[in-house]
Amino acid sequence: MTTRPTVTIHGADGAPCGNTATLPSVFKAPIRPDIVQKVHTGMAKNKRQPYAVSEKAGHQTSAESWGTGRAVARIPRVSGGGTHRAGQAAFGNQCRSGRMFAPTKVWRKWHVKVNLGQKRFATASALAASAAAPLVQARGHRISTVPELPLVIADSAFSTMNKTRTAIELLKSVGAYQDVTKASKSRKIRAGKGKLRGRRHRQRRGPLVIINPADENAQSVVKSFRNIPGVETASVTSLNLLQLAPGGHLGRFVVWTESAFNALNTVYGTTVTPSELKKDYLLPSNIVSNADIGRLINSAEVQAVVRPAKGGPRQKKGGKAGVLKKNPLRNRQVLLRLNPYAKAFSAQKLGCVKVEKVNERPGKGETFKTIINAD
Amino acid sequence: MSSNVSSDLVWAITRNNSSYIVKRGPIKDQIIFTREPLSLTNQHTRKHSGLVNEKAVGVQAGESGNVVLITKRNAEKHGNKPASLYNITTFNKHKSNRKIYSAIASAVAKKSYRADLRQAAVARASAIKRSQKPVKATPESKPRGVKAKKAAEGGVSSA
Repeated sequence: MTTRPTVTIHGADGAPCGNTATLPSVFKAPIRPDIVQKVHTGMAKNKRQPYAVSEKAGHQTSAESWGTGRAVARIPRVSGGGTHRAGQAAFGNQCRSGRMFAPTKVWRKWHVKVNLGQKRFATASALAASAAAPLVQARGHRISTVPELPLVIADSAFSTMNKTRTAIELLKSVGAYQDVTKASKSRKIRAGKGKLRGRRHRQRRGPLVIINPADENAQSVVKSFRNIPGVETASVTSLNLLQLAPGGHLGRFVVWTESAFNALNTVYGTTVTPSELKKDYLLPSNIVSNADIGRLINSAEVQAVVRPAKGGPRQKKGGKAGVLKKNPLRNRQVLLRLNPYAKAFSAQKLGCVKVEKVNERPGKGETFKTIINAD
Repeated sequence: MSSNVSSDLVWAITRNNSSYIVKRGPIKDQIIFTREPLSLTNQHTRKHSGLVNEKAVGVQAGESGNVVLITKRNAEKHGNKPASLYNITTFNKHKSNRKIYSAIASAVAKKSYRADLRQAAVARASAIKRSQKPVKATPESKPRGVKAKKAAEGGVSSA
């Protein structure tokens, strides 16, 4: 791992244009799905408009309870006669044409204040996650033809862009069009009343194109991209968590213009130099400098102080828990511990030596009778 | 991957929240599957996740009876380059099963790639090969028993 990783800048044709950029510090910010989710739930509530049922709903009748003794429930009943409505129960939430339970009020708490520091943390976190290919894939973006993440495209590709056609060509050549196709194919008619309220369709999010508003051509770039389904544009100076982590899920697929990418260090600063555009802001730093837990566990420093692993070759009588029983017939070291003579036995190859047949022995060839009658 | 991202972190994030997750069965004994292309058993586990592990293996059915083996390249060089991340080997349908399996086994287990996935990789390739066989039509059932035979004959004679 190089200390200062670089990012290839791709030209309009999708091939590396030869230049590289150093990875801005914001991409090394800690990735914290918990903070992003929390901030997202708060921020997502801040665009809501109040709604409520009418204050009078269910109460526009002069119903009175009949009291006890009439063998009906004591619920208020519509007075008068000459119509079916008379004598029907009213007001209660269980009644037909009654008031709803706990009628909604316009003074509900609609908005949630989210602390600025938390918002900035979440944004930095979401940006860092947008550069991790597995997280972008896990969010559902189609990036199998994208040459590199973060995907940075040279300014020359945008300098004369004023047509959606050229914007689509650019997305195709850098391998980002698969994600657009996925977004446009996902367009469905919304279930429920939202259809009637200006939210007729629902569809997936495609790539987010981040531009630098200081660029001369920024306005026409935004216009070129705005009619492509699923594609959104954002300004690098005012990034929004709702776009960087839709649904609170990390890993939006982001396409950077070169100047927007290079502006990131001025917008966010680093962990030691404050941001130029945000007052008194330092990027959050990681608590663990190396996120690879396996490597931490297997490092020499940790291994030097941990208890040795249980289950070594020591043979315990009766087989103690945690001690591996080894078969002495298969494991030579265990065999030698049990039978030190085994070494000499095998070194001298005594197991292979044939037992010599001895032909001479006293009394051979003689009958039992002669032996017993000897002397 | 940069120093703030690791397999462990990616697993912690994608374990409960990923577009590939497929949950099946009642809650009490629910099985979580995954649709990741580099998952040999289709189970959503740390060991079998193709997104999480820096070395992962996928075996898929290719076009017209081929079998495709996918492995991941060096994570340090290609980890954030999705277009060039994968090594793709295609086995022709005319190659014998044994040769395909041994090629997969050696590609997966040798050079300390992912020896733990060898068995699963070969098993998946075998299942794919079996699925690519033409389906034999089931033979018509013969009439069994005297009654059935008579009924069958009677049907023939009447027709």
